[in-house]
Amino acid sequence: MEATIEVSGLRKRYGPTVALDGMTFTVAPGKVTGFVGPNGAGKSTTMRVILGLDSVDEGRALVGGRPYRTLRHPLRQVGSLLDASALQPGRTGRNHLLWLAHSQGLGARRVDEVAERVGLTSAIRRKAGGYSLGMRQRLGIAAALLGDPPVLVLDEPVNGMDPEGIRWVRGFLRSLAAEGRAVLVSSHLMSELQDTADHVVIVGRGKVIADVGVAELIEAASGERVTLRTSARTPATTVLARAGATVAVTGADTLTVTGLSGERVVALLGEHAVPFSEVSAHRASLEEAYMELTRDAVEFHAAEGAR
Amino acid sequence: MSGPDGFGHVLRAEWTKLRTVRGWVLGLVAAALVILLMGLFAAAASNFSCSGPNGAPCAGSTPPTGPGGEPVVDSFSFAHQALTGDGSITARVTSLTAVSSSDGQAPVEDTQPWTKGGIIVKASTTPGSPYAALMLTGGHGVRLQHNFTGDVAGTLHATPSWLRLTRSGDTITGHESPDGATWHLVGSVTLPGLPSTVRAGLFAASPHHEVITESFAGASGESYPTRATAEFDRIGLEGSWPDRKWVGEDVGDLGGPRAGAGAGTGFEETADGVAVSGSGNIAPVVAGRGGLGKTVEGRLVGAFAGLIAVIVVAATFMTSEYRRGLIRTSLSASPRRGRVLAAKAAVIAAVTFVTALAAALITVPLVRAVEVDKGFFLFTVPTATEVRVIVGTAALLAVAAVLSLAVGTVLRRSAGAVAVVIVAIVLPYVLAIASVLPTGPSDWLLRVTPAAAFAVQQSLPEYQQVTANYAPADGYFPLSPLGGFAVLCGYTAVALGVAFSVLRRRDA
Amino acid sequence: MREALHVEWTKLRTVAGTAWLLAGVVLLTVALGVAASVACADTGCGDPAKTSLTGIAFGQAVVAVLAVLAVGGEYGTGMIRVTFAALPRRSTVLAAKAAVVGALVLVAGGAAVLVSVLAGRGVLSGVAVLSLGDGPVLRAAVGSVLYLVLVGLLSLGVAVLVRDAAAAIGVVLGLLYLFPVVAAVVSDPDWFKRLQRISPMTAGLAVQATTNVEGLPISPWAGLGVLGLWAAGALLVGGLALRLRDA
Repeated sequence: MEATIEVSGLRKRYGPTVALDGMTFTVAPGKVTGFVGPNGAGKSTTMRVILGLDSVDEGRALVGGRPYRTLRHPLRQVGSLLDASALQPGRTGRNHLLWLAHSQGLGARRVDEVAERVGLTSAIRRKAGGYSLGMRQRLGIAAALLGDPPVLVLDEPVNGMDPEGIRWVRGFLRSLAAEGRAVLVSSHLMSELQDTADHVVIVGRGKVIADVGVAELIEAASGERVTLRTSARTPATTVLARAGATVAVTGADTLTVTGLSGERVVALLGEHAVPFSEVSAHRASLEEAYMELTRDAVEFHAAEGAR
Repeated sequence: MSGPDGFGHVLRAEWTKLRTVRGWVLGLVAAALVILLMGLFAAAASNFSCSGPNGAPCAGSTPPTGPGGEPVVDSFSFAHQALTGDGSITARVTSLTAVSSSDGQAPVEDTQPWTKGGIIVKASTTPGSPYAALMLTGGHGVRLQHNFTGDVAGTLHATPSWLRLTRSGDTITGHESPDGATWHLVGSVTLPGLPSTVRAGLFAASPHHEVITESFAGASGESYPTRATAEFDRIGLEGSWPDRKWVGEDVGDLGGPRAGAGAGTGFEETADGVAVSGSGNIAPVVAGRGGLGKTVEGRLVGAFAGLIAVIVVAATFMTSEYRRGLIRTSLSASPRRGRVLAAKAAVIAAVTFVTALAAALITVPLVRAVEVDKGFFLFTVPTATEVRVIVGTAALLAVAAVLSLAVGTVLRRSAGAVAVVIVAIVLPYVLAIASVLPTGPSDWLLRVTPAAAFAVQQSLPEYQQVTANYAPADGYFPLSPLGGFAVLCGYTAVALGVAFSVLRRRDA
Repeated sequence: MREALHVEWTKLRTVAGTAWLLAGVVLLTVALGVAASVACADTGCGDPAKTSLTGIAFGQAVVAVLAVLAVGGEYGTGMIRVTFAALPRRSTVLAAKAAVVGALVLVAGGAAVLVSVLAGRGVLSGVAVLSLGDGPVLRAAVGSVLYLVLVGLLSLGVAVLVRDAAAAIGVVLGLLYLFPVVAAVVSDPDWFKRLQRISPMTAGLAVQATTNVEGLPISPWAGLGVLGLWAAGALLVGGLALRLRDA
């Protein structure tokens, strides 16, 4: 099976609310694809549609070229984690994995393998109701890995994890992608994906706003901006403006220069003997790039001052 | 894509789910335990005390058993002689009436529909021994009855009527005639193992006059004995009748008014024939409220409590999936939703069936032992019937579990589903047996509601030849065992259909 | 206590199911009552007042669901911890729940009984004149309303004890419906009477009898008292468990 997810033209309404409005994107193998958007943007709904759980009014979602519901042993093709708390508290973690394994024709040995792989071996025979949120996430990831699937769909897998756990998940996702799997990870915090995702699909109000590589995105958001610290504000402004840059005063001894690269700024200032103490090229964070893109798409604008 | 192995995996997954939640396992164990414990309690809490005249232990509290093992009433007034080998007896019934009297009042005419007078061939005068009898009855014309449960109707209804019984080996044949000239065959019955010398002759019996009023406290009855008098003439005997003389005898305990102080028996030779008078009946005992006999379904009364436990387990087996969104995990593991429901239904049905069957198989003999120990008499039924009651009870619980699962799928709420199913199955039964409703509406309730399925537990047939209150409260259901069970299956099929369709349409 | 009452009232009022269940109490009680009255239109079935109130046997199941959900819903979602964080005095919470559930059932039960008796009066006019001015009939009507309230409280207590809605419904309906079934197969008259006397349903519904009162296994008000004891016991044990157990 080809390790891809293809989502095309999904539309879905709940009464007057539009949940999905032409959602279209593709997830490629060998990469971690971030699926990002504010709460209510349609991430979880899209994932449920991919997994054949929710129906759509229009459009379709294919996994490896086939609708999910036609897959024979779906967990051997798509591993998923939607809600780590979707457990029956009275059942042990191992038995939870065991019934899932049985549904795919897998045995108990596979259960112990995945439990070990997510580092849950010591707690696996305890009741899942007593697990911490982080342990439940690990159990959920173990469940997703059960069928050794080429495609993984994970909804907010680091939710509720401690920093140690978050770092573990990041490395884990990278290693899964390195094995050639297609990994789709949703998050409402771009920063969570900073060092994980190769590619991001940014959504808002039920549709895709951007579908780009992480490197490209940061490049685009950074623009050509240079921060300059100098005691000679006026001569510097004159020199740089003459060379075609836009110069803005951003502090007592700082200027922000747009339109020239850092090297060019240094060269010009040297040429005209303008003294400066620091020149730095500005690099946008993924978070900033994301905020830039979704500014209009945020459905629930935080009230002034909140967050 | 499809294929049986895929379904096998889903089945196995659902079985793993069921057995790994302690609450469900405990619920099923509890279901089995209450079936046993309530059966034992009902037997332990049943006592009877009776004393005969002058404090003597009462005879007759344990009725004789007929050739089929069933408890019977076998008391009548009998004028008999020995008949050796093949032969026949012919007699004309010229009159049949019955009277009742209360406390020294003058007797009044009170012929019952099953007041009997006629001729009989009986293995011995021991109550419960095999017999065949051709008789005229108060309200049902000529009948050929044998061994308490057999009953064949003749055509004649009036006096005088000629009756003839012919013995040939084990076979007894009855003929009737309006005039003694043209004879019509009523029927012929076999009495296996009939001894070569039997008692044959003339008899009369008349059952109690019963008036049953239903009220909230249950049925209260007024019951008093009646006494039949049958007159015969033109008595003809063929074959070997060595005694040459009628002997009058009261078979069994008549329990009715005696003809008079001097008349030890109700037998009297008249100018041209014989008159026989007596009370009692020759018939199977009918189970009912307050009766001392114990039935196989009575031992399984705990099935009601077991049913409630099973309903709770089955409903939560589905609704717990919805409570925490586990259904999404289940459906992403097995995207064919119909299969998930089918697998759940199959698992819960099979587990319930096996649990209930095991419980019933242990309960029935244990409770029976307690009942025997306490001296109750048992309504013995054919093994096939007992198997049907036990297996049927287990199947009833299994199907009810599937109904509960289906309702749980539709409602997605455990409390609602449990209440709906319990109310649908148990409430109609409670209303039918323990409420105000007269027999008509009670019967109706047990025809159209899922409670009809309890008919599968009815072990005793209704005897048309015995007048009794065949009400649900007495253990008699309006539908046949399979018919009643089919009603529950129908409801379950509809509920499953709705569950399939909503599960398929709904977003998980 | 006032805050607790207010809290419980708001909680129950703002759950969509409550209104439906209360409507269900009235509707199902009246429906079965009218059906029984029609079935007994010719004879009254011995006790016309009781006949017209047969529906209580049905309505009580809905009351049980309502009361169980008032507790089970909170345990099912974990909201109980929020409740106890806001109102740490657990017995006060239970008392407030009991008061609110009791009051709601009182209103719905009152309506159900009133309509049932009025309908019965119309249907059974051929055999009896049901009048609430008549002492025994009034006792039957008022007693039936109280019966429903007590069933609600019993259910509440059981739900607190069992903490799982489905199991609690099973236990409550088992307690109510099983006694008559078992009594029917017990052939010892002493045991029969004993079972009827301790059965919450059979004893409790003795309060509906207007004829043959001497023939009852237990006198009307004493019978209702038996149900009251069951309810009080369930609430007491439930309250104790609430105090001792982790939320």
